Amino acid sequence: MITAFRAEWVPLLRPRFLLGTLGAVVACAVLGTVLTFFSVGHQDFDGDPVTAAALSRPDGLIQGVEAVSILLGVVALSVVAASLAGDHSHGTLRNQLVAQPHRARLLAGKLLALATFVVVVVAAATIVSVGLSFLLAPTRGVSTAGWSGWAGLAELGTGFVNLCLGSLGYAAIGALAAILLRGPAAAIAVALAYALPVEMLISRIYHPARSWLPVQLMQEIATGGAAYAMPYADALLRGVLYAGVMVLLALVIFRRRDMTA
Amino acid sequence: MTFGSATDPAHAHRGPARVPATSPASMDTAAGMDTAAGMDTAAGMARSDTAIWTRGLSKRYGARRAVDHLDLQVPRGALSGFVGPNGAGKSTTLRMLLGLIRPSAGHGHVLGEPITEPDRYLHRVGAMIEGPTFHPGLSGRRNLDQLAILRGIGGWQRARRARRVEEVLEQVGLGKRADDRFSSYSLGMKQRLGIAAALLPDPCLLILDEPTNGLDPAGIREIRALLGQLAGAGMTVFVSSHLLTEVEQICDHLVMINNGRMLFQGHVTDLLAAEDPRILMIPEHDADARRLAGLLDDEGLRVEIDLCSGPPDASATRGRRPVVTAHAPEGLAAHLNRLAMRAGITLRSLRTQRPNLEETFLRVTGEIDGDLVRSAQAAQAPDGSVPPPAGAGLDPAHSRGGAT
Repeated sequence: MITAFRAEWVPLLRPRFLLGTLGAVVACAVLGTVLTFFSVGHQDFDGDPVTAAALSRPDGLIQGVEAVSILLGVVALSVVAASLAGDHSHGTLRNQLVAQPHRARLLAGKLLALATFVVVVVAAATIVSVGLSFLLAPTRGVSTAGWSGWAGLAELGTGFVNLCLGSLGYAAIGALAAILLRGPAAAIAVALAYALPVEMLISRIYHPARSWLPVQLMQEIATGGAAYAMPYADALLRGVLYAGVMVLLALVIFRRRDMTA
Repeated sequence: MTFGSATDPAHAHRGPARVPATSPASMDTAAGMDTAAGMDTAAGMARSDTAIWTRGLSKRYGARRAVDHLDLQVPRGALSGFVGPNGAGKSTTLRMLLGLIRPSAGHGHVLGEPITEPDRYLHRVGAMIEGPTFHPGLSGRRNLDQLAILRGIGGWQRARRARRVEEVLEQVGLGKRADDRFSSYSLGMKQRLGIAAALLPDPCLLILDEPTNGLDPAGIREIRALLGQLAGAGMTVFVSSHLLTEVEQICDHLVMINNGRMLFQGHVTDLLAAEDPRILMIPEHDADARRLAGLLDDEGLRVEIDLCSGPPDASATRGRRPVVTAHAPEGLAAHLNRLAMRAGITLRSLRTQRPNLEETFLRVTGEIDGDLVRSAQAAQAPDGSVPPPAGAGLDPAHSRGGAT
C-alpha cells in the first residue's frame, strides 16, 4: 500500500495539475473571505446579519474559508474522480495492476494519497483565507485580538479539521463515482449532479431529509454543525458512516470487476 | 487436421535450441480434453517446463465466448508468437494471464503459479497490453518512475530506481527523449516506452501485445534484435502480433488461435513443414495457361490458375500474366518443365514456393477463401482471360492451396 501511495503522488505532482488545483482552491478561499468581510453590515445567505462583533470572535478567523466549503468539496470530488477515472480511461490502470496486482492495496494506497492531497489543498485554502482575513479585518472594523489567542487557534484547528472531513466526504462520493463510471467526465458530472441539484431539491422539498442525505451531512460537518439544526456529533457519525460505506463499495467493486479498460 | 507434430522428421529449430519440447495441439485436441492430468500427458510437456500453461481456459461475455477452452503451453525460454485475427481472443487471453480479468472456466499457471493469484508471479512478469498507455502529462521518465515505485524497485533509494529507469530507457533507445511529455511522443516512441515499462522489473516472462506497431523499419529491426537478445538471455518472450512476417522471423514457437479456440501451437518450422509445397509456372503465352493446367491435371496433380497475381507485363494488353500453380514438391519442377516443353508450351517462369506463415495463417483461419472466390470471379470475366479447366482447384471447397 505504501508503494501505491508513493506512486500516486507522481501524477498528482504534475505541475499543471497541482497548480490548477491550488489555483482553484485559492480562488475559492479569496472569494469566500472577501465576500464574508464585505458582508459586514449586511445579511448572509440565510438572512442572518453579519456583524464585525461576530467576526471578531475566535471562530471568526475561519469564517471566510468555511463560507466556500461547498466549493472546496466540489474541488475535492472532482480531483478524486478525475484522478481515479482518468486511470481507467487512459488505460494506465492496466500497467498499475500488473505492477501491483493486489487490488485492494493499490486502491487503498491511491485513496490515501488522494486524501492527503485533499488535505493539502484545504490547508492551502485555509492559509490563504487566514492571511487575507488579517489583511481585511482592519478595513471592516473587525478586531483580530480574539483570533490570536489559544481560543482562536483552537477554533482555527477545529474549523480546519471540519473542512477536511467535509471535503473528504465529497471525495468519497467522487471515488465511488469514478470506480462505477470509469470515465472522468461522466464521474464528475454524475457525482456533482447528485451532490448539488439533486440533494438540494430533495432537502428543500422534504426538510427532514437533510439529516440523512450524505452531501447535506458533509456540509454540516464542514461548517462545524452551523448549517442545520442537527447535533454535530450525529452529523459526523452519519457522515463518516456514509463515507466508509462508499469507500468500501468502491473497494469491493474494484477488486471484483474485470479490468477491460 | 493436426499441426505441429513433435515426431515430424522435417522438424528443425529456427534459432538456438532454447525450446525444450514441441507441443502438439490441434483444434480437435484443444476442445476435447478436460482434465489437467489428461492434458499433461497428451501435451507431452510438464507444467514445470512451461512459462504459461492453461487448461480449458475460457471467457464468456454473455452468450459470446471470447476464449473457448484454450490449452496453452508456452515453453520457458522460448520466443513465442501469439497470432490470430482481430477478435480471436488474444487480448482477452493475455488479460486473463495477467490477472486483469477472471476466467469463466478452466485454470492456468504462469511461472508455476496459479493465474487466480497474480500477486504471486506478476513481480516476475513484464507486460504491455493493447498498446502503450501512460499519463499524457508526464514525461516518459516520470511515467516509468511511477511504475518503478509501484513495483518497489530500488525501495526508498531514488538513485537505484533512477538507474534502473535509465537502463531500460537506453535499452529501447529512448534515452534522449525521456524527459519529454508522453503526449508529445510519436506512436513508435510510445511503443518503445511501453516495452521499457515491461522491462522494468527485469522479468522472467515478457508479454507484449503488438510491440512493433507504429515503428519504422529500423525500429522494427531494433525491437526484433532486442527480443532475440532477451530470449537468448533466458527470458521467455510471448509476443502477440499481426505482423506475421515478423513472427516468422523472430519466433521459434507459435500459438495460433481463432474465435477463441486453439488452431496450432508448436514450432513455426513444424507448422510450415506441414504445408504443401507448390510449383508456380507462367507460360509465355497466356492462352497456354489452360492447356498447361489440363496437362498437370492429367498427371494427377492438384492445379490452380490465378489470373491476377502474376508479374506485370508492359507488353501485354492486360497488366498481369496468369500463373499456373501445381501442388507438388520441388523435386517435380524439372519433370513439369519437360512435360510443358513436350506439349509445346514454353514457360517464361518456373519457381517453387513453400507457403509462408502469412499464407498458412490465412488458410488456417479461413481468410483465404475470400481471395479464392475473387480469383474465380476474375477467371469468369469476359475480358479474354483464360478460364480454369474443370476441377482444377479454383473452387474454394476443393482447394487447400494459398494465394499464388
